[in-house]
Amino acid sequence: MRKFLSILFPTQSNEVILVLAIILITLINVSIILFFVKKFFPQKNIDEVINRTISWWKMIGIFICAIFINNLASYICLGILSFVAFRELYSVLGFRQSDRGALLLALVAIPIQYTLAYIGWYGCYIIFIPVVMFLLLPSILVFRQDTHRITKSMAMVQWTLMLSVFGLSHLAYLLSMPDIEGFSSGGRGLLLFLVFLTEINDIMQFVWGKTFGKHKILPNVSPNKTWEGFIGGVISTTIIGYFIGFLTPLSPQNVILVSAMIAIVGFAGDVVISAIKRDKGIKDMSDTIPGHGGIFDRIDSLSFTAPAFFHLVYYIAYPHL
Amino acid sequence: MEKKFLQPTVMRVTYKLIFRSILKYFVGIQYPDCSFLKKEKQFVIIANHNSHLDTLSLMTALPGDLLWKVKPVAAEDYFGNTKLKAKFSNFFINTLLINRKSKSTDGANYSINKIIAAIDEGYSLILFPEGTRGEPEQMSRMKSGIARILAQRPNLKYVPVYMTGMGKSLPKGTPFILPYNASLHFGEPTLAKSTDSHEIMDQIVDDFNKMVANFAIKEDDDDD
Repeated sequence: MRKFLSILFPTQSNEVILVLAIILITLINVSIILFFVKKFFPQKNIDEVINRTISWWKMIGIFICAIFINNLASYICLGILSFVAFRELYSVLGFRQSDRGALLLALVAIPIQYTLAYIGWYGCYIIFIPVVMFLLLPSILVFRQDTHRITKSMAMVQWTLMLSVFGLSHLAYLLSMPDIEGFSSGGRGLLLFLVFLTEINDIMQFVWGKTFGKHKILPNVSPNKTWEGFIGGVISTTIIGYFIGFLTPLSPQNVILVSAMIAIVGFAGDVVISAIKRDKGIKDMSDTIPGHGGIFDRIDSLSFTAPAFFHLVYYIAYPHL
Repeated sequence: MEKKFLQPTVMRVTYKLIFRSILKYFVGIQYPDCSFLKKEKQFVIIANHNSHLDTLSLMTALPGDLLWKVKPVAAEDYFGNTKLKAKFSNFFINTLLINRKSKSTDGANYSINKIIAAIDEGYSLILFPEGTRGEPEQMSRMKSGIARILAQRPNLKYVPVYMTGMGKSLPKGTPFILPYNASLHFGEPTLAKSTDSHEIMDQIVDDFNKMVANFAIKEDDDDD
């Protein structure tokens, strides 16, 4: 597997290839187990798990192709991810007829934000949405002269853009981080570390919660979330993070700090999106990914962990910037 | 009705390949599985109408090999007001143009007779009984023409389709499409329970009321 991947991705460091191999081998094992369970215990209802696993194959396939083959393609694919996530979020939140212009302008901001990440102009990239769009969007809204519930629209458009475009674009900026001497994996290693750990954290919190869950943590937001799931998730994510810390330029203590932070912030992102779904009375954000729901049902944690991880690593590992 | 070669192929490629990809991946329309329509020999799709996207998304949702024998019923004064427009919409959309403002109620040009003739030829139809696009995301009263058609052809099944979000994406009178996760909800192919057009109308309105209750986009209520 490792040899095969090194031929496929000649430019990637050994560390990245090792982790990709681990991911693929895990997935293959899970698929084989599911195949035999389905074959020998057909009365067991595991269709949802199978659906999810098929979707995992597709998502991981797309992710690997998008991130590890071509540099420019990585930015474009992450931009498309932002676009789909943004569309899904404002579709669910709802908007007035007179907000359509502002939303169109916000859509135009996506390629601009990702271009800024691509050329690595950090100063402009980091203020474009929080400052430029923050001032521009309400001004555009006001021009329509429809003041009924305009406050809500001003808040909604900016918040959606922050979460789905500004937050996720940190994934792209990780790829533009300058090289550090003695650290071969570069931005791709950091990106793989972040995405892998965020998803592992989701799975771990789910598994711990299912197995030992007793004390509900936020019963009015997400009845499935328990203290046992949360704590078990944080601990196992931190341990796994420690062992794949070689993807990052961080010292072991810092890897532990960053991994625990990913687990806690990921949980926060998860429950924030849950709260929105509860408010809107829906189960899934859309039906884009079979077995998972919408894009945001899958990347809810990632939209929070991406900026948090980026800025923590930026502070710890790139003090000269 | 005979199957030509060129038009079905062109329609299949334009709708299932080009338009469907754009609508699905760029606009964000969520398509249901429509393969159950393959089992039906002939049907009338009855849908709510809010946007120019409606016909397009219905056509792209249908199974590809049925496309050539499904005719959307469209207004002559809008889609057929120039010869070029009529030719174009006949070839690419396969429209059945009817006159919305016709006074006389007999003769081959009267809209109901024109529709019945197409049904007898074997075509399936797409009909918007509201008659016009109206306010975004609001259903206006359905006109009774569809009931009169079903009363005259009692063996014809109708399929109610309720679409949400099309009026958010491209409402009447706006110049651009805003991507939006719009959805189509297909009902069961159903036979009219009676031959009286009023009762048929009640049955259809009832079907739609159920779908509106289940699927309509809930707007925030103004309670503060």
